[in-house]
Amino acid sequence: MSAVLQPGQAPGTGASTETDPETAGVTGLRLAVRRFTRNRLAVIGLVVVVLFFLFCFVGPFLYSTDQTHTLLHQVNLAPSGSHLLGTDAVGHDELGRLMFGGKVSLLVGLAAGVLATVIGTLWGAAAGYAGGWVDATMMRVVDAGIAIPALFILLVISAISNPGVSGLIVIIGFVSWLVPSRLIRAETLTLKNRDYVLTLRAIGGGHTRAIGRHILPNSISTIVVAATFQVADAILLVAYVSYLGLGAQPPATDWGGMLSAGLTAAYSGRWWLILPPGLAIILVVCAFNAIGDGLRDAFDVRGRG
Amino acid sequence: MTNAERSAAAEPILELRDLGVTFTTETGEVPAVRGVTLQVRPGETLALVGESGSGKSTVALASIGLLPGNARATGGASVDGEDVVGATESDLARLRGSTVSMVFQEPATALDPLTRVGAQIAEVITNHRDVPAKEAAAAAVDLLRRVGIPDPERRASAFPFELSGGQRQRVVIAMAIANDPKVLIADEPTTALDVTVQAEILDLLRDLTVGSGTAVLLVTHNMGVVADFADRVAVMLKGEIVETGTVEDVLLRPTHDYTKRLLAAVPRLTVAEQGSERAGVQESPAPPEPVVDLRDVSVLFGRGSRAVRALDGVSLVVRPGETVGLVGESGSGKSTAARVALGLITPSEGAVHLFGADLHKTRRRDRRAMRSGIGVVLQDPVASLDARMTVAECIAEPLRVHRGRMSARERASRVGEILERVRLPRSFAQRAPRELSGGQRQRVSLARALVLDPRLLVADEPTSALDVSVQETVLEVITELQDELGFACLFVSHDLAVVQQFAERVVVMRLGRIEEQGSTRTTLMHPETDYTSRLLAAVPVADPVRQRQRRAQRLAAAAGGSDAVA
Amino acid sequence: MTTFLYLTRRVLQAIVVIFIVTIVVFCLLHALPGGPARGILGPQASAQQLAAFNHDQGLDKPLPLQYVYYLGRLVHGDLGTSYTLNEPVAQLIVQRLPKTLVLTVLSAIVGLLLAIPLGMWQAVRRNKPVDYVATTLSFIAYSTPVYFLGLILVLVFSQLLPLFPPQAPQGDTLGQVFATPQGLVLPVVAGAASMVAVFSRYMRAATLENLSEDYVRTARAGGSRARSLLWRHVFRNSLTSVVAMLGYYVPVVFGGSLVVEQLFNYPGMGLLFWSAAQSSDYPVLLGCVLVIALATVVGTLLADIVQRIIDPRVKEGRS
Repeated sequence: MSAVLQPGQAPGTGASTETDPETAGVTGLRLAVRRFTRNRLAVIGLVVVVLFFLFCFVGPFLYSTDQTHTLLHQVNLAPSGSHLLGTDAVGHDELGRLMFGGKVSLLVGLAAGVLATVIGTLWGAAAGYAGGWVDATMMRVVDAGIAIPALFILLVISAISNPGVSGLIVIIGFVSWLVPSRLIRAETLTLKNRDYVLTLRAIGGGHTRAIGRHILPNSISTIVVAATFQVADAILLVAYVSYLGLGAQPPATDWGGMLSAGLTAAYSGRWWLILPPGLAIILVVCAFNAIGDGLRDAFDVRGRG
Repeated sequence: MTNAERSAAAEPILELRDLGVTFTTETGEVPAVRGVTLQVRPGETLALVGESGSGKSTVALASIGLLPGNARATGGASVDGEDVVGATESDLARLRGSTVSMVFQEPATALDPLTRVGAQIAEVITNHRDVPAKEAAAAAVDLLRRVGIPDPERRASAFPFELSGGQRQRVVIAMAIANDPKVLIADEPTTALDVTVQAEILDLLRDLTVGSGTAVLLVTHNMGVVADFADRVAVMLKGEIVETGTVEDVLLRPTHDYTKRLLAAVPRLTVAEQGSERAGVQESPAPPEPVVDLRDVSVLFGRGSRAVRALDGVSLVVRPGETVGLVGESGSGKSTAARVALGLITPSEGAVHLFGADLHKTRRRDRRAMRSGIGVVLQDPVASLDARMTVAECIAEPLRVHRGRMSARERASRVGEILERVRLPRSFAQRAPRELSGGQRQRVSLARALVLDPRLLVADEPTSALDVSVQETVLEVITELQDELGFACLFVSHDLAVVQQFAERVVVMRLGRIEEQGSTRTTLMHPETDYTSRLLAAVPVADPVRQRQRRAQRLAAAAGGSDAVA
Repeated sequence: MTTFLYLTRRVLQAIVVIFIVTIVVFCLLHALPGGPARGILGPQASAQQLAAFNHDQGLDKPLPLQYVYYLGRLVHGDLGTSYTLNEPVAQLIVQRLPKTLVLTVLSAIVGLLLAIPLGMWQAVRRNKPVDYVATTLSFIAYSTPVYFLGLILVLVFSQLLPLFPPQAPQGDTLGQVFATPQGLVLPVVAGAASMVAVFSRYMRAATLENLSEDYVRTARAGGSRARSLLWRHVFRNSLTSVVAMLGYYVPVVFGGSLVVEQLFNYPGMGLLFWSAAQSSDYPVLLGCVLVIALATVVGTLLADIVQRIIDPRVKEGRS
């Protein structure tokens, strides 16, 4: 139990109010990089993400497969030398399909995650900076958005229409901006009362300068951390969306689509149809979460949510 | 026989032998304390003084075994014959709170916010004594009474947030003395408190320790507190002790150069000798038009029944070229008043005139132009500069706002010029704020404030986060530039001595109202109101002999006052 | 601020939130192909029927007026009629909601009972092997789509080792559901997994933060030992921030129940919603969204009140 008595290297402990001369001279960014690289899980996460991008976007050039036509002569083959991960019910090579579907999962996840962060940042920064009743109203809208579970909205939309890949990005972006908006609002509230912003306003500096030169640049680390987690969540959400039948339409697919297509096959023992896409989703989402964790610690950003 | 003489005979109860402490940080090993040897005997108070980074707090924490996880102690520290350095956590837990205990700097965070104060005190009792819960709770109430909390039975079930800062510090002290410790370590126990509360807490600590034979290790940066409370003094510089001696010797006849410099930098409060007369008030015949004029300003925060009146009918003026000191304790509204003058807070009632025009009635464009005549320096040296900008960008920001047509070259030369004015090398322009020390950062803030040649400088506690030696330089720079450039200055401070040295006129505020105002010389030497007198009497001076007299006078006055009330 | 004032303010905020939700749902209703008329009359209705219906129901009136009518119907508990099940939506939801609440509340309790001690333990053992292992496991639990997890659970604990039934208990009443409690095990585990992942992380962070607070040092200076520090002080202080997060996690739990119910064929609201989506039964879909949002707002409100009970400090409303 003695470990509890070592609350770790909280910055400034011991030296209490005294400035720490040892960190002077090291720039914030370099310190952040050093902290990040020391976080083993985060570094592993980064490697995993890079490998998956290579696998999905460079892989098809090295391992070319037919993913458009139905190939009846090779349906439901178990893994073997010629098909490392076997084939599915319409004869597509599963390894090639993993690359093919991964493109959609990664692209949609990345784009939707970034879109959600952008919307959230603008909304949150505007609410936090405006303050007063504008802020209160904007935050009630966020509360209302949070109160409706994203999956329910997605299912309603899927019942109404069938969007393509770009529609998917927009929909996922628009259902998941709420959490980042709360984070950025909190950050803006702190920053707008920083002494340097007050000083600027006292000497007559405008809102544009306050936001553009001080508040946004100083929220970058919060935004980057939020975006990383948002990408992880978006990739996961894409998988759900495909399970709900709203995902990429055949012959296109994504990992979630592969997984839900293989669900019934799994009961009859064709494990190679669900384990690879399932593990791919888990690995990539884990990796983005680990990176987000590492970035958060490196930038010393607070909480998520 | 004085305390010091009596205790000189006894064996030391707290003993540090060649104590060293090293921190392991992200950038490597940092030695914080080296070769510290000192002893404190029963009944004696040893003050450990030094500036930030001197390692004084680290010595205090090492003496009770509370160093953080990334610290490593070498050498020896023992309390009542038991080793602290290298002791097991379980042995330390047995010592802490019974043989040796500690009072911390920040009463706002020192108590568990979710546990009632009585229970927190009772916990210290039951940690060391096998008594029934009921008895411990009763003992906690007694302790609250001993530390001067009114209505202790009821207060025992209060949560920390329901108490004022001074009362919270009293609760922390109650926890510290719960088991009659032989050694009490007090780490800047009054630094976070107002000066009148500071005096009360020091009186309390003195009452509790003198006569009970408790040894006190007092860590402080405040020479006045040292003079008020200590028997002996050890001066620390960069992790080492440079001078030790009795309080009279060290404060009145220092031998080490550093101690001399430190004492020379302490702002002295000049007080009237008893019986001297108040000089006649001389008003200048035709006062020039003020640069700032607050007329009957009130500020309400919040709405309805929860509204707080932060300012109540405040009127004050600052005339060209003069320095007005705005003093008061926390909650007095002095910072709010400064922010109203800056136009950052819109008053609920009353008017603000800046350079002769009503700030809230001028058009947006003119208002912007008006504001180019203001310079601002705020308290926190870390928060006042944007860490993402270089020093040059920080200083040039007002130029970009008001002199948009200026070329990059002109801007750079103006920045270099003003850097030299605040006594910083031109090469600092490309540095990042985090590479600078606190004093350098405040001078960069000052450079930014003065880059437009303002007619008014508003400085809100510009030096209160700085060490005295650094404070002296910053104040010197402001004075020098004011002589050259002739700007007026509204100087907000809690430190009466600084204001007395620095300002020609002073405004004393209390609870959102102006208590009194006038020329610094008359107001601070011969105050008209009771409050200002009490405020002045509570300031400890860095001279043990005079401080002893002042304390006696203050206590006598307080006793007289309460007699009069009764 | 007194507790009464605080409560009034929070309830008012909640009402505003519900109000905004009704606007969102109203907009969705009008975004339906053919509008609400198609939604109510069903896909077979002819153009004339639609026009007649629109006129009768005032659907040719301006939108703001229609919104007022819509609100009026909601106040009377009228959520429309399911056109596949031919029953009032409100009645369908009243039948199903308790079962969903049983599932979600059980998952939440199981999840929190595991997550809170786990998070504290990780904080105490920070950066030790157990912390790394637990962190990795939480990441995996968080990253696994619930339907994939459910599938694995069924394959392992129902097919490979026949310990639990692969289907949730069926039945119309709660009594019937509780008659075969072993059937609830796999759905509850599937629902609790991400809860454990998320809240063990929160608890770990909150505990670490509290361990470095000044009051811990004060208690240590008074001779308190590690165990009493952790349980008497750090635990309660860390719990307040976790409870605050709980409010925001309510919708995620409901979202998860949607998939879990479908996967284990559990006759709750999620399954009702799911089958309504398959058959484009719009009144049911929108009614469910409204009720779930209401449940979320109430859940968040409860979490806030619980937090206020634990934490006596005067707090501004979370705005």
